[in-house]
Amino acid sequence: MIRHIVRKEFTDLLRDGRFRWCAAIVGVLLLVSLGSGLVETRRAEAAHTAARETARDHWESQGEKNPHSAAHYGIYAFKPRLPLSFLDQGVDPYTGTSVWLEAHRQNDFLMRPAQDATAGQRLGALTAAQVLQYLVPLLIILLAFGALAGEREQGTLRQLLATGISRRDLALGKALGVAGALALLLIPAAIVGSAAITLGSPGPAATPFARGTVLAAGYLAYFAVFVALSLAVSAWVRSARTALVALLGVWVLNGLVAPRVAVDLSKWLHPTPSAVEFARTMEREVRSGVPGIERPDRGETTARLLAEHGAETVDDLPVNVIGVYLQESEEFANQIFDRNYGDLWNRFERQGVVHEALSVAAPLLAVRTLSMGLAGTDVEQHRHFATAAEQYRRDLMRRMNGDLAENSRTGETYIATEDTWAEVPPFQYDAPSLGWVLQNRTLSLGMLGLWLVGAFLVAGSLVRRAEVA
Amino acid sequence: MTLRTVLRNEWRLLRADRALALVLVVFALLFAYALANGLAWVDFQEETLAAAREGNAERVETLEAELQRIADGGQPSSPFRDPRSPSVLGGASGAQTAVLDPGPLTALAVGQSDLLPYYYDVSIQTNESSFLQNGEIENPLNLLVGRFDLAFVVVYLLPLLILALSFNVLSGEREQGTLALTLSQPVSARGVVTAKLAFRAILVMGLALGVSLLGVLFSGGFGSPGRVALWCAAVAAYALFWFTLAAWVNGLGRSSAWNATVLVGAWLLLVVVLPAGVNITAGLLHPLPSRVEMITAQREASNEAVNQRSELLARYLEDHPELAGGVAAEEANRAALAWAATDAVNRRLEEVTSVHGERLAAQQALVRRYRFLSPALLTQEALLDAAGTGDARFARFQSQVREFAERWRTFFVPAILAGEQMTADVLPALPSFRFVDEQMREVRARAAIPLAALGGLLVLVGAGAVARLRRVTGP
Repeated sequence: MIRHIVRKEFTDLLRDGRFRWCAAIVGVLLLVSLGSGLVETRRAEAAHTAARETARDHWESQGEKNPHSAAHYGIYAFKPRLPLSFLDQGVDPYTGTSVWLEAHRQNDFLMRPAQDATAGQRLGALTAAQVLQYLVPLLIILLAFGALAGEREQGTLRQLLATGISRRDLALGKALGVAGALALLLIPAAIVGSAAITLGSPGPAATPFARGTVLAAGYLAYFAVFVALSLAVSAWVRSARTALVALLGVWVLNGLVAPRVAVDLSKWLHPTPSAVEFARTMEREVRSGVPGIERPDRGETTARLLAEHGAETVDDLPVNVIGVYLQESEEFANQIFDRNYGDLWNRFERQGVVHEALSVAAPLLAVRTLSMGLAGTDVEQHRHFATAAEQYRRDLMRRMNGDLAENSRTGETYIATEDTWAEVPPFQYDAPSLGWVLQNRTLSLGMLGLWLVGAFLVAGSLVRRAEVA
Repeated sequence: MTLRTVLRNEWRLLRADRALALVLVVFALLFAYALANGLAWVDFQEETLAAAREGNAERVETLEAELQRIADGGQPSSPFRDPRSPSVLGGASGAQTAVLDPGPLTALAVGQSDLLPYYYDVSIQTNESSFLQNGEIENPLNLLVGRFDLAFVVVYLLPLLILALSFNVLSGEREQGTLALTLSQPVSARGVVTAKLAFRAILVMGLALGVSLLGVLFSGGFGSPGRVALWCAAVAAYALFWFTLAAWVNGLGRSSAWNATVLVGAWLLLVVVLPAGVNITAGLLHPLPSRVEMITAQREASNEAVNQRSELLARYLEDHPELAGGVAAEEANRAALAWAATDAVNRRLEEVTSVHGERLAAQQALVRRYRFLSPALLTQEALLDAAGTGDARFARFQSQVREFAERWRTFFVPAILAGEQMTADVLPALPSFRFVDEQMREVRARAAIPLAALGGLLVLVGAGAVARLRRVTGP
């Protein structure tokens, strides 16, 4: 019996002009956004790879100079695009793309692509993720709002139940019918998506297939929530029209209102300092230290070095004290940077948790967080890259200061050879593993699971109690 | 029976309808919430700017005190930071903060003000790469989602309120069987629909405009009545567009359910799908030029500059013979050499930026053409322009900062080349920045385009509605 219900629902939907039109629009948008995302990602990654090579080349061919001059010259790091970022560009347009790694300072990422776009472009970027998060649920609502309420209005619900089918099977059949119709749209999109992953973008390896599979599962769960919710509302309210209005209300709340409320709530709960305030605090702390992190004292360092080497004056030391001073001052400043940037990043992450927690009212927030996480375009993975770049900077400075300290004497004019620069290993970034991402996203995964179970339980109970006429 | 009777009847119906009253209350709350958000954002910006100005004043005080101390025979605190040297006084330690005060109606529309920088520290080191800096510290996730401000409520949610109130103004009467009765009176269908919609429009626009004016009142924006008028015009035109669309759809004579589906579909298409579609098209056909090449260019220029410092100085003085007299003829000082290198890098950066800027402007012009496809995009543009948080005002700020940086350089560079020493006396004579805000004339001229397009759409849809409604003579 349930097979007949599925087949009837499926055929009905396919014959429905409204569905065909909506599905065609959503399908085209999905394919176009996949394609344009892929083109854009490959273009950006090609530009970044070229810039990365040039930057390395600049570093290696900077000529003979003092290692500290080389440290000031520094090197630029460019953020790679991960293979899945074509599906969901996430926060990438709003984080910088490049950072200058130089002596004494941890710099901010510069050049946010969004700053070059117009205000209108901020109103709605269309990525595959956005089609999946906003438009597919809408399609589901349009497919399913009349599933039970419509039958009831036409009086066919009584007939159906008279055939002896259980309400549960009826609802399940309807759900599967809707799912079948959706599959016609989603399967081609999934094939295009996997083909795109196979073609691959040249970003750092990040187990794209495993990530893609979890991503697909997450979206399927999200769609299932909407199917169940639609059926629940359709069983609950009297008319199909009321069901549609109520479901559209849910959609607006889920897609438009809740995300923005989350922004304000997160800012209110975890305020971030203004850029002026942040810079001033950092400047003050670098200048005079904070309790527990004292500015290194050159006199003390000199005394320690003299004692260690049993020397009378700095000229007798086998090391260049300037190199030692510089490294100590780097290490001091690093602690100040960790303190300030660490606090800022932690605030961002706590703000992110507010967004995730609000998914209790809007499943979009859970699936969006999950999607950005798996695509590698969330705030946490930006931090992951920023941290790796900063570690590289610190290592670079240690090498430069070490070279200065070990290969020259205090007071000497030291010029390092050109080989020194090539000996520094290039910056290699490894994207975090799937496990790392999922560990960060447990709240979203849990919320999505909760919605799935909750929506099905509610749908089940409302269908059982649905009035026949 | 007259139209006044229709209006009075509508008022009674509305008062009796619990659901409708609830929707209105919910919207009033959303408006209030959006306004509170906008006001909090203005407060934050103002506090930040106060801190920036205070930092600036502190810098000047420190320099003044040190210059005074040196004049009285003291030693500079660091040989690298001797404030008598013009490259120090005009450099980062003497930088002047150029600020853009929040737009007069920022409380109504946050717009681009959370993304684009609204203050810069200007010094002789300011060059094109300074304009790559980020704006305010903000979680990128929050930037991505955007703020819940009045502009958001007006563009996205207000149409839904309008459609909920008016999707069945005519079809509802027909379905209840009251249409025949109504039309048997000396009123036309057009008259009835107009009266009912006018009643609703007064309610909705009263709410939207009332909250807007309240926001203006709280944030002291009445200083620019022209902007307030533009804002109100944009809100009114957009709201009327949706009312007329509802009238037209009602005039087609279908069921209430059909009307609701079509109107919600229109909302989706015009507010959600088209702006996104426009972006996809723009991204594919006119991709934004990447800025990473600017970094490469900057590096190459500075590598060259370092290698040929003394030649650069000679060339610089050839280009600026008026400055040559001041340079100590025999031995160019270190600062002069450094400046010549800096100048060469700046020149190269300006070249790269101007090429990039042209491509960017061309691309943005193309993107902006597409806005005529969606009344939501048009309205957003008009609202942001009226509020002073759109792209134009920020671009204006940036170009004035650019000019100011040039004035700042002109003040210090001759002194650097001549190897002069400065005293506390120059401090009051330093160039200072004041943002010259847009003239109302310019704002009006700019906002006139989207408003005219919106007006044109309104007339078009209105004509369609009138033509359809004229044909409705009975149920």
